[in-house]
Amino acid sequence: MNLEGIGTRAHLEQLKFKGQGRRAFLGGAAASGIIRPVAAHAGTSLGPIREEDALIAFGHTGPITDGGWSTAHDLGVKAVRKAFPRLKTIYVESIPYSADATRIFRQFVAEGAQMVIATSNYGDFIRDVADRAPDVAFLECDGHSVTRNLGWYYITHWYPSYVIGIAAGLMTKTNRLGYIGTFPIPSVYASANATLLGAQSVNPDCTMQAVAINSWFDPQAATQAAFALADSGCDFLCGITDEPAYLRVAEQRGIKAAMWNLGMRDFGPKAYVSSVVLDFAPFYIEQVRARLEGRWSGAGHFLKTSMGVDRDPWGDTVPPEVAARADMMRDRILAGYSPFRGPIYDNAGKLRVPEGVVMSDDQIYQWDWGVRGMRGLG
Amino acid sequence: MTRFQRFPVAPTGLVLFWRAAAIAVAGVIVACALALSGRNPFELAGLVIHSTVGSRFGLEDLALFMTPLVLTGAAVTLTRCIGLWNIGGEGQFYLGAVGAAGVGLYVSGPPILILPLMAVAAMVCGALWILVPALARAWINVNEIITTLLLNFVAGFLVYWLATGPWRDRVTGALVSTGRLPVAIPEMWGAVHYGFPVSLLVVCALAGLLRRTVWGYEVRISGANPGAARYAGIPMRWRIIVVMLISGALAALAGMFEVAGTVHRMQGGMANNFGYLGIVVAVLARGSCMAVIPAALLVAFILDAGIVLQTQQLAATTVLAITGLVLLLIAIADELAHYRPVGGIGQGKASA
Repeated sequence: MNLEGIGTRAHLEQLKFKGQGRRAFLGGAAASGIIRPVAAHAGTSLGPIREEDALIAFGHTGPITDGGWSTAHDLGVKAVRKAFPRLKTIYVESIPYSADATRIFRQFVAEGAQMVIATSNYGDFIRDVADRAPDVAFLECDGHSVTRNLGWYYITHWYPSYVIGIAAGLMTKTNRLGYIGTFPIPSVYASANATLLGAQSVNPDCTMQAVAINSWFDPQAATQAAFALADSGCDFLCGITDEPAYLRVAEQRGIKAAMWNLGMRDFGPKAYVSSVVLDFAPFYIEQVRARLEGRWSGAGHFLKTSMGVDRDPWGDTVPPEVAARADMMRDRILAGYSPFRGPIYDNAGKLRVPEGVVMSDDQIYQWDWGVRGMRGLG
Repeated sequence: MTRFQRFPVAPTGLVLFWRAAAIAVAGVIVACALALSGRNPFELAGLVIHSTVGSRFGLEDLALFMTPLVLTGAAVTLTRCIGLWNIGGEGQFYLGAVGAAGVGLYVSGPPILILPLMAVAAMVCGALWILVPALARAWINVNEIITTLLLNFVAGFLVYWLATGPWRDRVTGALVSTGRLPVAIPEMWGAVHYGFPVSLLVVCALAGLLRRTVWGYEVRISGANPGAARYAGIPMRWRIIVVMLISGALAALAGMFEVAGTVHRMQGGMANNFGYLGIVVAVLARGSCMAVIPAALLVAFILDAGIVLQTQQLAATTVLAITGLVLLLIAIADELAHYRPVGGIGQGKASA
């Protein structure tokens, strides 16, 4: 049987099993060898799918009830379901960063998913699956690989982080900011550096102590780290954890905290300054639509300020003049200005970004050094 | 009149019978719980069977799961033979990964030389990791359960430190990870690499060593009756030390296979509880090296089924609960296998 020009064998199997039970369909998908290298012909394998045949799989790093990162993504999943009521979505929560991640993504493929979206950076664990499943579109949040059927997306959280950093610089009395970091990876450097640069732009004496807890979702470790930072004299906490634990610590200790993922003021109304809020819904809807229409291709996507990422409305205890000063920068960023311009020195005192040079989003996305005054991040 | 009497030895046939019953009961309980929560247990069971043993992809995953489990299970079984528990398989697994990754990343050469060198480095690291607990056990009688367990946490943090510090991948920014190793164990069947048959051979060799050599006999005597062993002049200290070092090396070899065959990077958290699951495998295997292989297969099946169930929107915690239920019922089954019906007093003849 000549398959060229018609579609891959897997695609035919799907057509053949359409209308039968789910199990029969899965049998067809797996038996046809989706997970084996299939000779792919660009333009045919990622062809259009009917909405009622589509299965979109999401893999989360934490529980979707974490109140932060995974909840934010799940809101996007719900929006996809609302926009395309006839397609099916499945998800798996708390996928570890181990070979189990590969197994779960492979299982998504075996169950017939035409699009797999990982909401965290599983790196090789997703890349290995994508390379063997050329008929399936893969997206990896905070990823760095682009192939024909694998792309990445990320929010440019560094701009709202810079804006919140200005508020932090104006509100801190000890000039010590605490940062609950997760892993020493570029997206975390970008977040911490941006906050500190924002603070230093209004208060040059500001320093930041970061702690890496080696987990995205570990409320207990985040709480311990927050107490340790508060004990060491930090009076403004920020971070990049998936959940709101350190906001409770800030509330308890009478200090301030800025969050990220979602608005979280209920967890600590007096401590709450703002949050880098994320909205993946428009992006997910657009990507799923592109996949359904057969227009999808692997690429990198930045979700920009006010188009997927922004600061939350300021907390009740933020002085209006502080909010106004920070929002001045937000307005300039919205107008196209980038505050990430030289001179920027690293924490060893070396000039990394010369006077007059502006860091591109691509450079910020690869940030792997701490700025002047940053301690605790490699 | 028939009554049941507990015998000290449970025949294999009875154990298998009761275990099969236990698995069936666990299946019924899980099916009822799933049905009560509004799912179709038959559809899920069909999917689980299809995705684990009913498809090429599922069989590949089973083999990949089994490879480390066979070795960590053998590591615990070996110490059981001499009456000790190596709870430190997780830590030795990590040290094996460290040794293998150290060689793989920083020694260059043809894979035919590098891969065996990685295995040797891994086993040496794993043996060194258990050396202090082994010496402490042999000379000053320190409880090896505590010492081997606590070293797991040290090993876990050591790997985190290496993977986020000196050995960190600065090229792709992968999470808590060293760079990708330039060498890999060749794949033999889809994603299944040669570590799988090698691990089976290692277990067979270990079984032969324990069953067919004087050394193995002395180890088993030392475990079964330390007093008699000492009286017979068996150098128990040396047997304990060597057994524990081999045990550490076996768990470390699992780490080497995982890093060089499956994950290709050394990463924090990569042990994936394989060290602890090795204890489960050893308990299921009831001290027999050859039984480690089917026991590892059962645990691999449960793990693999767990992944399938997760994609069917069952939370990971539900899967853990199912695993616990299966193991609990198997433990009960093992105890039941010790009971046999015997004839009433005076009859003098077993009725079954």
